[in-house]
Amino acid sequence: MLRYLMNRIVGLIAVMFIVATIVFVIIRVTPGDPAAVMLGPEASQQDIAALRTQLGLDRPLPLQYVTWLGQLARGDLGQSIFLNKPVLSALADRAEPTFWLTLMSLLIATAIAVPVGILSAIKRGTVLDQSVLSFSMFTSSVPSFWLGLLLMQVFAVKLGWLPVSGYGGPDASIGTRLSHLILPAVVLGVVNSALITRFIRASMLDVLRDDYVRTARAKGLTETRVILKHAVRNALIPILTVIGLTTALLISGAVVTETVFGLPGVGSLVVSAVLRRDYPVIQGALLVIAAIYVLINLFIDLMYMVVDPRVRY
Amino acid sequence: MNVRTPRLGGGLKGVLATTALAIGLTMLSTPTLAATPTKGGTISVATIGEPPTLDPMSSTADLVGILTQHMFETLYTFDAKWNVTPLLAEKLPEISADGLTYTIPLRTGITFHDGARMDAADVVASLKRWTETASRGKQAAKLITNIDASGDNAVRIVLKQPYAPLTALLAMNNSAAVVMPKGKLASPLTEFVGTGPYQLKARVPDQYIQLTRFEGYKSRDGEPDGYGGARKQYLDEIRFVPVTNANTRIESAVAGQYDYVDSLPVESRDKVRAGRSELVMLEPFGWPRMVLNTKQGLMADVKIRQAVQLALNEEDMLFAAFGNKDFYTLNGDLYPKGYPWATQLGAKVYNKGDAAGAKKLLDEAKVANPTIRILTSQQYEFHYKMALVAAEYLKVAGFKVDMQVVDWATLTQRRQDPALWDVFITHSPFLPEPALIDFPSKDAPGWWDTPRRNQTLDAFNQARTPDERVKLWKDVQQAVYDEVPFIKVGDFNAQAARAKTLEGVTPAPWPYFWNAYKTK
Repeated sequence: MLRYLMNRIVGLIAVMFIVATIVFVIIRVTPGDPAAVMLGPEASQQDIAALRTQLGLDRPLPLQYVTWLGQLARGDLGQSIFLNKPVLSALADRAEPTFWLTLMSLLIATAIAVPVGILSAIKRGTVLDQSVLSFSMFTSSVPSFWLGLLLMQVFAVKLGWLPVSGYGGPDASIGTRLSHLILPAVVLGVVNSALITRFIRASMLDVLRDDYVRTARAKGLTETRVILKHAVRNALIPILTVIGLTTALLISGAVVTETVFGLPGVGSLVVSAVLRRDYPVIQGALLVIAAIYVLINLFIDLMYMVVDPRVRY
Repeated sequence: MNVRTPRLGGGLKGVLATTALAIGLTMLSTPTLAATPTKGGTISVATIGEPPTLDPMSSTADLVGILTQHMFETLYTFDAKWNVTPLLAEKLPEISADGLTYTIPLRTGITFHDGARMDAADVVASLKRWTETASRGKQAAKLITNIDASGDNAVRIVLKQPYAPLTALLAMNNSAAVVMPKGKLASPLTEFVGTGPYQLKARVPDQYIQLTRFEGYKSRDGEPDGYGGARKQYLDEIRFVPVTNANTRIESAVAGQYDYVDSLPVESRDKVRAGRSELVMLEPFGWPRMVLNTKQGLMADVKIRQAVQLALNEEDMLFAAFGNKDFYTLNGDLYPKGYPWATQLGAKVYNKGDAAGAKKLLDEAKVANPTIRILTSQQYEFHYKMALVAAEYLKVAGFKVDMQVVDWATLTQRRQDPALWDVFITHSPFLPEPALIDFPSKDAPGWWDTPRRNQTLDAFNQARTPDERVKLWKDVQQAVYDEVPFIKVGDFNAQAARAKTLEGVTPAPWPYFWNAYKTK
């Protein structure tokens, strides 16, 4: 087990290095100048050049790269050009809305997907099953921004039940902040429920065909007990995988949904950083996101051991 | 009220006042006085994004000016008729007979947000920082010999040559000559301490910027007068909230979530009208233009530039960009009617769409490869739409067009390099003083630098009387039409929305809220 963990940590470092290099190269070769963006449209070339020097952007790229790697080795993600604060601090500021949005979206997605997926598998071939399949196809196809704008129109604009955008002012209560997250969470939850539903259905169908399920029924167990105690438990591994990946996706920032609803989360931070060419934030944020993906994958792999005693590392 | 007729003094004053009255306004919302202003309340203002800085000297971005003008003040500002009017200065400067020395008396009893009293030393230090940090300051610095205190309550600026736009530069609210405490002038700025009616309480980037009433503020006496006059501070707090997505701003305005929503696309007018906010229209707001690269490439040839000017149909470009004649006006003059800078010279070269004439000029230029690289961005959708229409008219005239649509960050980088583009599209609000526009600077992309340009602009900037400046402006404008460093497309209007409970907001290119108040 320890050896397994050590191997995974070494793998994490390798992934981080590759991501750091790729991100650095891509954003540096992308046209656009953070100094010009910061100084505004009427800044002179001299002013822009001076700011580039001040920010160290005029140094040779290999030197900037080595400096960046050195900072990373010390756990320093650098300083945001635009926000003039450490990248870690900028990410920490965005963590709260992203955390709550992820949690709420995941709850909605699993609350939809688990019962619906299980029911669809049990009632395979019926009208219910076909409806579920059609609905999940629709929700996986619909653009999240369209769904977001639609929900915004109905619940925020027409009915006025929920706010249109933002995350509440400085004196907003937890309740107010959560109310700002309801619509985006519903959007993300519904859109992401599609994939989880399909995975649950497929996984359950596989398990329901197995001999031990037939045996359990033959022993006279109730259908509920057969499904919940035996079938679901054995169908969990692929379900955990897709939920884990969905979580990682949500944590990394639901870019479009955050933009539509004006949420100051990690996704909108990355988008803003790209538009502003805030290199340290882009690099730092993508590195953190990559690390989250790897760690969540590790967590899921470890959860397999809990779910399936046969799995040992 | 947004009548833009800068005071010029002398005999023109009466003419302009009449003109201003005759113009009238077609704004859909004017500051009403139906309710008695009461103190109190907090407003939320939705803006187009997060400002890159809160240092008003270091950026020319309008968003920076909109925010920081509540916290910082300049020596001068602009009144409702766009005349320069004193703000931190006691009165307009005393100018020596040779036009080289400006003595600016200061108001007394002004307190900074940190409690310190403002004095001449603070003003001198701030102006020096302005000349070193701000692009407008650097522009002025080339002509400034010295800045020093003239006693405890006055400052003196000595010039190398007469420079009429100086007070206008000192009045502008971006790249602004704001006054800060002399001990808090670090670059970059770490403390944001000004004399303005509101002070910074908190800034959470991409979430809000929170300003609270500064109780130690000393307003000018009298009544509000545009950006000048009294600043009443009714509101307890102003929160600026970045809402970058235009559709989200529209829906926010319809839902009435914010007290003020800036920069709404004009096509949302009917939808906003039907919602819970009042429409605010600023007519006219500004002018889009196609800037031509006179330094390098195809556009370095004046005949080619004249051909482009002749080929374009600005009416179609404006219609494509704004879709409704309520939102634009065909006008080839650099300033609209009502400004002393308005002339009738533009009609001769404007909106011709003369493909045959343009082709003749192009043929005379004997160009091997008539490919025009047009640099534009969908960051401003109307830029992009104008570019599309322009491209078609240019093709009919015999040009080839290479349309380069990039994001704004790429555009701002590329336009600094004359090797990379021939035409780019930009826009600006109507600025009360022509020297505030970017084109008079040789460093501005376009790099217009010819003997005629230098002669006409120098004469204009060194003119000693307002009448003389108005006369000389015609020469500058004619030089623009003849040498074509840029092509004005027209005048356009801007749209915003305010809550029905928010009063006292004057439509302005850089919205301000110090006289605003909430009603029940």
